[in-house]
Amino acid sequence: MIGDTGQLMQQIVIGLTKGTYIAVIALGYTLVYGILELINFAHGDLFMIGAFLSLIFISLFGLDPKTSSGLTIFFSLIAILGLVMLCTAFLNAGIERFAYRPLRNAPRLAPLISAIGMSFVLQNVGIFLGDGLIWGKAADAIGSDALERVSTAMGSQSVAPKNIPDLLPKEQVFFIPAGLNFSYKDLLVVVVSLGLLAGLYSFVRFTKLGKAIRATAQDRDAARLMGINADRTISVTFLIGGALGGAAGMIVGLYNGTALFTMGFTAGLLSFTAAVLGGIGNILGSALGGLLIGLILALSDQYIGARWSNAVIFAILVLILLFRPTGLLGQEGGQKA
Amino acid sequence: MPNTKRYLITGGIGFAVGTFFLWNYPNLALGSAIIGGLVIAALCLLYSAPLPDMVKGGLIAGLFGAVMTIVYGPDKPGVAIIAGMLSGLGAGLLAFQRKPQATPQDGAALGAGAGAIAGAWTALALFLTAFVIAPAAGVDASEFAEHLSETVILAHAMGLASDILILLFVLVFCTITGALLGAAAGAARALPLRPNIPLLAVIALPVILIPLIDRAGNLLLLDALIPIYIFILLALGLNIVVGYAGLLDLGYAAFFAIGAYTTAMLSSPHLGINISFWLVIWVAAAVAAIAGLALGAPTLPLRGDYLAIVTLGFGEIVPILFRNLGGGPPTGTLTLRFFGLPIGIEQMDLTGGNKGINPISPPNLPLIGNFEPSNKIPWYYLLIIIMGLAIFFINRLRDSRQGRAWMAMREDELAADAMGINVVRTKLLAFSMGAMFSGFGGAFYGAFIGAIFPSSFDFSVSIILLCMVILGGLGNMAGVIVGGLLIQGADKMFIPKGAELFRDIADQRALTTGGSTVGVSALQDLTQQRLLLFGIVLVVMMLIRPEGLLPNERRKAELHSDDDPININSVAAEADADPSLAA
Repeated sequence: MIGDTGQLMQQIVIGLTKGTYIAVIALGYTLVYGILELINFAHGDLFMIGAFLSLIFISLFGLDPKTSSGLTIFFSLIAILGLVMLCTAFLNAGIERFAYRPLRNAPRLAPLISAIGMSFVLQNVGIFLGDGLIWGKAADAIGSDALERVSTAMGSQSVAPKNIPDLLPKEQVFFIPAGLNFSYKDLLVVVVSLGLLAGLYSFVRFTKLGKAIRATAQDRDAARLMGINADRTISVTFLIGGALGGAAGMIVGLYNGTALFTMGFTAGLLSFTAAVLGGIGNILGSALGGLLIGLILALSDQYIGARWSNAVIFAILVLILLFRPTGLLGQEGGQKA
Repeated sequence: MPNTKRYLITGGIGFAVGTFFLWNYPNLALGSAIIGGLVIAALCLLYSAPLPDMVKGGLIAGLFGAVMTIVYGPDKPGVAIIAGMLSGLGAGLLAFQRKPQATPQDGAALGAGAGAIAGAWTALALFLTAFVIAPAAGVDASEFAEHLSETVILAHAMGLASDILILLFVLVFCTITGALLGAAAGAARALPLRPNIPLLAVIALPVILIPLIDRAGNLLLLDALIPIYIFILLALGLNIVVGYAGLLDLGYAAFFAIGAYTTAMLSSPHLGINISFWLVIWVAAAVAAIAGLALGAPTLPLRGDYLAIVTLGFGEIVPILFRNLGGGPPTGTLTLRFFGLPIGIEQMDLTGGNKGINPISPPNLPLIGNFEPSNKIPWYYLLIIIMGLAIFFINRLRDSRQGRAWMAMREDELAADAMGINVVRTKLLAFSMGAMFSGFGGAFYGAFIGAIFPSSFDFSVSIILLCMVILGGLGNMAGVIVGGLLIQGADKMFIPKGAELFRDIADQRALTTGGSTVGVSALQDLTQQRLLLFGIVLVVMMLIRPEGLLPNERRKAELHSDDDPININSVAAEADADPSLAA
């Protein structure tokens, strides 16, 4: 049936690689849904902002695969990852403070609509960041070379896809005669993503703040009566979710080599599907869902046709919601009216 | 400080607007600052000033007329007449929101006052256009006067020669028309009649007159108005689903697409089927209604936000289907690979793929013949008839047993179920009825544009429609129409025309001061910048007025409920809430 085993293996590798970063984005959805029962529609766009920010920082640092040494690139990328995560974390917490917190006791759909609005606003922030003319003006005003580099990287078309320099090493990690490619680039994506997943899991599982997050997610009022500052806990959750979204944006940006202001919509839908598949509100579930969705996506690209992939993903989402709304690892009934 | 939050939001919006202008038109720094300031001032005034409804209504409607006049002003000053009419009418309708028990005399007085304010605003805007904006945009005075006198047939007849006299005539005309229509609207609204035939007549008057004025002045407004009306029709359908039944639908554009594609497939040379438009429009509505059932059936058990996501998925899948069911590889077979084995399916080019379907046959009437793309007037009246029927039908539907069942379900599904309402049937009917109207809209759209593409039915279309419904007021038809006029007016008239005008002014300035011209670049991502506006509208409406501009009373009570017994924040929030809002 399957034409070529090597090709299948290759797709599985691609799928698992994609799956790990889909899982990281899905975590942002899961965390917020777990604590607020809100589908944070703007999370995908936060991921997009992360990709843009990483490109901006890479240009500011002046990293170039041709001239910079490997060590410089390595340490700069770690620094940039930290910076991007910091920016998106505070952006996400700010959005929560401004657009969701006032609606905490509104009917359920009000925060969702607000989140959709925020998603559109963030897309325009992406366009704004991608406008090389603005960076050029700023560079002229201050006379800075770094800003000039950003301006060059962005180009004059603010809505066009941006190229992110290919900074990750492309050597093969191991080589299987069947033609299976697994490069250091793939390995890095997997390692960083899994590291983030593990870090988040242990944070929520073993720290005091993590316990506060779990308590607030279970019963906000009871947690409040136990002396947990619910608002602050929710802010922390958004900080973490934002940091993960930004990190995923940087990883994907470097992996695919492009950033586009609409990339958040598709990625967000994939990740949300992954979160629902694994069981929304469940961290391990998100990881599992992400891997499965990555696999399905890669196989569907190969064996059905890339142009059907989005439809396949949606069909899966609908089927999960219809037959097992709690997802694979979800515990409580998701059908409360 | 009771209103601190509002002023912060207001200031934020004004700042954002100013920044937006500055970004697009860098050499109009002063103008951008003025616009941002004006937005802040207008919002603050509308928020906090304890103005009577008459003045508020006049100001709001007048703002609409003024903006319309200014953006069209330099090339088409005659638009001011239509703007004056519309804004006077709107002012009359808004004039006594908190006085529902007014007598017709009261209504007329209030309406006249509000209409006069709105007309005066419009007139003032025209004055500004003539003496400030048109020269800045490089339109010389004689040209302006010529445009103006083209519209004012009466001015010709009266032999008014001088430009200033024509201008004065239009100024007075705007104000008087505004006042008259405002008075009529006010009086009609206060009549103790249901259904309100006089009110409908008053509203219908400018709606019917617009094409005639448009033709007289060669204003070309209909090109923008017809799509606006189509979108309002769609929003009315969406309002059934979201506003009445309380089911958040994020994929409504799918039904629009289904209606349009049904029409395109059944009445174009594309598949060789060419059924008359008058039949196809019913087929399209029926197909859309069935699609509504198909979406509704599986989503019955889902909760609010999950339902929203499933509808979003549906809205994404449908355009993908239309994109992929046709226009395949040129070999004539559509290759679906099933586990690596290519399966050749004889290529049925159903939908034309990405290229869409072109041309679509126009409707045909015995007296008029084929509806021509060049002559918009028959299209306009056909659409008005469809809209009128839809409004009538939805109105009756809302007050029927079924409509009451929708609202009961929206407010409490469990209680409605316990009271014997068949929730399954109620939900399915809401979906299919809502979809049916978008089927009509889609059919008309397909025939009117004469060609359709899958990209016209994106997610953003669903969001814009949702925006219209939310801004106007969920579950209130008048609100939805107003919201539709505002959002679509911004989308199809104000923003494109305004951008053009600003570009002209910026270029003109650059010519005189020797700076760089803006060129086309400022307009290139206008489509995206529109979406920024809609995003902001959604967020701000949720924060400050979730019930919309013209709320439905019952809905308003729901949205301001507070069902959380131990909530420290909400108590504090209530304490500094604005007492005037607690109606």
